[in-house]
Amino acid sequence: MSTLHVISRSPFGDNRLASCLRLLGPHDGLLLCGDAVYALNPGSVTVAGLNTLGPRLYALAEDLEARAISDTGATAVDYPAFVELSLNYDKVNSWL
Amino acid sequence: MKFVIAVFSPGHAPSSRRALLFAQAALAGGHEIVRLFFYQDGVHSASANVVTPQDENDVPAHWREFVTAHQLDAVVCIAAALRRGVLNDEEANRYQRPAANLPVPWELSGLGQLHEAAQSADRLVCFGGD
Amino acid sequence: MAKSLLIISRQAPWSGPSAREALDIALAGGAFDLPLGMLFLDDGVFQLAPNQQPALLQQKNLAANLQALPMFGVEDLFVAASSLAERGLDPDGLGLPVQVLDDAGLTALIDRFDQVVTL
Repeated sequence: MSTLHVISRSPFGDNRLASCLRLLGPHDGLLLCGDAVYALNPGSVTVAGLNTLGPRLYALAEDLEARAISDTGATAVDYPAFVELSLNYDKVNSWL
Repeated sequence: MKFVIAVFSPGHAPSSRRALLFAQAALAGGHEIVRLFFYQDGVHSASANVVTPQDENDVPAHWREFVTAHQLDAVVCIAAALRRGVLNDEEANRYQRPAANLPVPWELSGLGQLHEAAQSADRLVCFGGD
Repeated sequence: MAKSLLIISRQAPWSGPSAREALDIALAGGAFDLPLGMLFLDDGVFQLAPNQQPALLQQKNLAANLQALPMFGVEDLFVAASSLAERGLDPDGLGLPVQVLDDAGLTALIDRFDQVVTL
């Protein structure tokens, strides 16, 4: 089974993203939203590792645009796409 | 498909708004929400006593309108709510508190409601934190 | 067949109601005889440290409730080896009988449950 992991906290003051990446399975996806999208900031220590996820990396479009983060390797999703994404994986694990 | 959406953050947290927009998109996409469940600080998202500044997004009001408009099953965890001062008339009377802040459409009930709904849903999606 | 639920508890025990409220989800589900698992991850592993005295902080002891998990039918209890090691906790000296899993074990664990809630 596959899991869509969802993280909303910035990785620069919180260990959720680091913990999640340690147990992310080969078929799992990762959706960044809220301050977690700062992990995709070009030149950050986090972005290169995240980009290795390729098509399994997603980010909420409004959070990227609001923070003026562009040219990321993540697939930007709006809310309808978020809903569909949650159905494309077998379950959703939000790191509250 | 059938969704249970669980909210763990107050109305002023971005994740409460995110949960609302996800729920709206789910219905717009032809899916069903079998239950909304508000737990931990999420009980504040249901509070009728939140006064949001006029030039800011009033997420608790939008939740109320959304639940009412679609006649959704919206359960607020009673244990989490009592602890945080989110009470309906019945509980305010029971504990002799001066104000109730949880009118209809919200229902106060136990965590069993989360499990029951999760059993009947295709996806359980939680929103909380920032 | 009933859907299985894994509860991942990441919060330290005495920093607010979060750890107790994660446990309450497990206890409520156990009362309904649902297939449940509980994983202690990150600071959640401090819930398993022995000889704690929360009474000094005027808090109820979580240990009694944790020990009730098997009585409520929640017998699948797990802890992350990496979280223990990072925090200097001895896997053999924990306050609850739990299975210690490495990172690959955690991935496999999450994979086999139908639903997951991480608090």
